[in-house]
Amino acid sequence: MISKIINMAEKIQDAEDRLLESMFQTESILDDGFSARTVRRIRRQMWVRRLALPLAMIVGAAIAVKPASQLLSVGSQLFGPVATDSMFPQSALTAQLPIVIVGGMAIALVMVTFRLFEE
Amino acid sequence: MAFFGQRLINNPATHSAATDQYLVALAVSSQDTAAFGELIRRHQSQVRNFLRKLSGDTSSADDLAQDCFLHAWNKLQTFTGRGSFIGWLLKVAYTTFLQSKRRSKRYAEILDEAGYVEDVQNKSYTVQSDEVTDLDKFLAVLNEEERAIMIMSYACGLSHREIGVATDLPVGTVKSIIFRGKNKIRTSFDIKDHKHG
Repeated sequence: MISKIINMAEKIQDAEDRLLESMFQTESILDDGFSARTVRRIRRQMWVRRLALPLAMIVGAAIAVKPASQLLSVGSQLFGPVATDSMFPQSALTAQLPIVIVGGMAIALVMVTFRLFEE
Repeated sequence: MAFFGQRLINNPATHSAATDQYLVALAVSSQDTAAFGELIRRHQSQVRNFLRKLSGDTSSADDLAQDCFLHAWNKLQTFTGRGSFIGWLLKVAYTTFLQSKRRSKRYAEILDEAGYVEDVQNKSYTVQSDEVTDLDKFLAVLNEEERAIMIMSYACGLSHREIGVATDLPVGTVKSIIFRGKNKIRTSFDIKDHKHG
């Protein structure tokens, strides 16, 4: 009720208000491709944001492949007796590591591609 | 599955009849740029008009309007739907304008430190077009805050409460700023004897 009274009070205008309102009134601006340009810019920003993280992951993984495999081989040498007790031999594990990393990267890439197709 | 769902949602024909609130919900829930595009089409005129009047420069105002819609897209989930969407959008537009002013002020300071003299900091409202209207003269006597509030009130038709939300000011302050603005215009141009219509 109070808000209605306030709104009504706001709508009561004197001559000066009406004059100002008429002076402030301007013709509406034609779209002229503005909205299409803005939407394109938004879509571009979305693509950049979506691509940034997977790309960073892929680049990071590519850089980390070699040191990670070296670290694992050193680790397996240190914990040799444990590794030999396991089901898989130590040499096989070290050899498979790059394949596992590349496989992970491929899965990430497929997921990103699928997401982009959805868009 | 989502691929086909997305195709159904991105149907511009259904967007044109939808309310602002529905389009916002669609844009937030499914990142539907087509729905947001419809919102831009609906409100671009008011936002661009607001920024043109506020800055007095058509081309930079249009760039600012694009930035404003980009910010609006990024902050769309903060629109609660309590007030009007145009009120919220003008709040984003005003913030974008103030941020750009602050940036150009910092830029001027850097130039100043580097030895270049550029009077961007103290730059007042200047009209870039050849034709200076009465409105431009009116707006030139107001400060930035008064100009923004007067435009929101008289050009965009926002209520005092909506202006208060848009500018983060209490309603009483909005009213007094409008009163002060009108006084400034009245004393500068002597419009008290002007008969409307």
